[in-house]
Amino acid sequence: MEAKGWISGDESAKEMLGRVLSRARPFLLLPPLHRVPLRPRNVLEIVGPSPSAKTHLLIQAALTCVLPVDWNGVHYGGFDGFAIFIDLDCRFDIFRFSHLLKLRLASGSVSEIDREQNNNTIKRSSIAYDEELYTLCMRRFSYVRCYDSFEFLATLKTLHYRIQKEKAYGNCVHMLLIDSIGAFHWIDRASTCLPLRGSNRKSHSVQTVLETVVQEIRKLLLLHPMLAIATKATLFGNRAMNEAKCRNLRKPDTSYSQIGGITALQLPYREYMPSAWQTFVTHRILLRPSDDHLAVSDDQNHSVYFSEWLLPSLSFLDKFIVKEAGVFLVA
Amino acid sequence: MAPLKSLEQEYPILDSNFQSFCASHDIFSVEDLLLHDLYVLAAFAEQESSSERLKQGIAQVLSIIDGQHQPWLNGIELLEDAQRNKHVLSTGCEGIDLLLHGGLRVGQLTELVGPSSSGKTQVCLLAASNVAKKHIGSVVYLDTGNSFSPQRVTQFICQHSDPAIDQAKHRTLQKVMNNISCKSVFDIFTMFDVLHQLEFNLRSQMQGGDCKVQLLIVDSVSSMVTPILGGSGSQGIHSWHALMISAGYLLKKLAHEHNIAVLDPTLRIRLKASDLKNGFRNKKGKNQKKGRKIV
Repeated sequence: MEAKGWISGDESAKEMLGRVLSRARPFLLLPPLHRVPLRPRNVLEIVGPSPSAKTHLLIQAALTCVLPVDWNGVHYGGFDGFAIFIDLDCRFDIFRFSHLLKLRLASGSVSEIDREQNNNTIKRSSIAYDEELYTLCMRRFSYVRCYDSFEFLATLKTLHYRIQKEKAYGNCVHMLLIDSIGAFHWIDRASTCLPLRGSNRKSHSVQTVLETVVQEIRKLLLLHPMLAIATKATLFGNRAMNEAKCRNLRKPDTSYSQIGGITALQLPYREYMPSAWQTFVTHRILLRPSDDHLAVSDDQNHSVYFSEWLLPSLSFLDKFIVKEAGVFLVA
Repeated sequence: MAPLKSLEQEYPILDSNFQSFCASHDIFSVEDLLLHDLYVLAAFAEQESSSERLKQGIAQVLSIIDGQHQPWLNGIELLEDAQRNKHVLSTGCEGIDLLLHGGLRVGQLTELVGPSSSGKTQVCLLAASNVAKKHIGSVVYLDTGNSFSPQRVTQFICQHSDPAIDQAKHRTLQKVMNNISCKSVFDIFTMFDVLHQLEFNLRSQMQGGDCKVQLLIVDSVSSMVTPILGGSGSQGIHSWHALMISAGYLLKKLAHEHNIAVLDPTLRIRLKASDLKNGFRNKKGKNQKKGRKIV
């Protein structure tokens, strides 16, 4: 009887697919993160030199997370959940976040805001938005700062209880956002040479800290399915690679496939994170500023950024600019 | 972070039994506990004779760890704190105020970048005199290159006042100059020392009054770090990087926790043609909407 039960199975493939898909709908984020569907338990790494709008993408993802799907007849297209923001860079600007949220609430979709901004119909002070929804969304955004890797580890270890507390109130957490995962890399690296008493004692080195961080995040993602997005600043660019690319970009007949070919061969930056983190990341996107500037209006000159998916490796580049209302793709 | 032994007094559940259990897993301090998997530790505790007490000890340590990180804030609380405490300090120069969208932001570290003799120290002195004069708060000036000039500050202060009333002017001048405290630091370790002392003073100080520090000027961090750059090969560069980043974090922490605006003029050395483009872009960056150069 047991063997027969073992052969006949628990559920059909159709039932399993229905069960899994109903719980884990893919997240469709705003451009330039829209090319690849992201699911809970994915870890997305946004890499780029400074400045390349990485934190801005995080803020935009957080906004999409806290907004509801529909409210009072207006479709916002959000994920209706909590967002947890761990700020290791300590540069987060709440005014910018609040302003972006107000703009999103005033007009339902991002493209509408852009059109109205271009017509200069919305002034900064007179944005009409739903006060109740604004407060609700702001309350769904949880923020903590960490000034060193100990505080970061302490935060991660106690995050589980915090999320459980929120779940007890009926709120589900959809996103874990970490600004600059490599923030303490150099400090930890410099303190590696401290000798410790006891032969097997774990020393506070980059390796052990990162391994513990990866372990804690992995456990959190197992217990609470959510999407993890981390930014990483590239410190020393591969100069020869950059110069070769610059030379190619200046040629008039450069096609995207050519650039894609170069970057597909080697990483365009030097990877400094330990392999524990590198293997943990499931998706990776590279941002970098280009030399072009887009003149939107007379007094506004926006610099254009490139975004390129490294993992999964897509062979084309997206171009985007950062305006007051957010990130917009440039054709 | 404390060794477990010293926590026994305050938390009697972390007794010698708990400490020897932890020692058997090479854990001697809270620091070590942060690097260990607590669930695995709890599983090991199951196998011990006094498992209940040990697990209570682990729970106690977890609550100690919970107090080790910064507090969680939601969006509304963050916004309220920013609106209440993080206002803008005018630098005294309209052009720069325009670029910075009002002035130096309290709670943030603003970096002034430029080649030598481009007026960075002058802007710092002007900002110091402006903040002290308007009685917004007191100014702490950390001077690394003997560039602080009281005569220049006096000039800035006396610029706009009425030349007729001499005695009153002298008294106001005294009061304003008392609001600026200048310290000379010539190496990075002295700077860390001074900043830690400042942090301690601020934490134990009573709030209120004019004597609250509002502006901290460090002129300049980069000049103290560059002598270390010439260390032994790659090791020198790594320690340089770590020191710079630690200094940055300390300044950011001071700025945010104690509501101070930090100003740091930095010398930008042009090495190559490609770097020249980067330096130019940084200056242009100030004109962008989001362009405050914040470190």
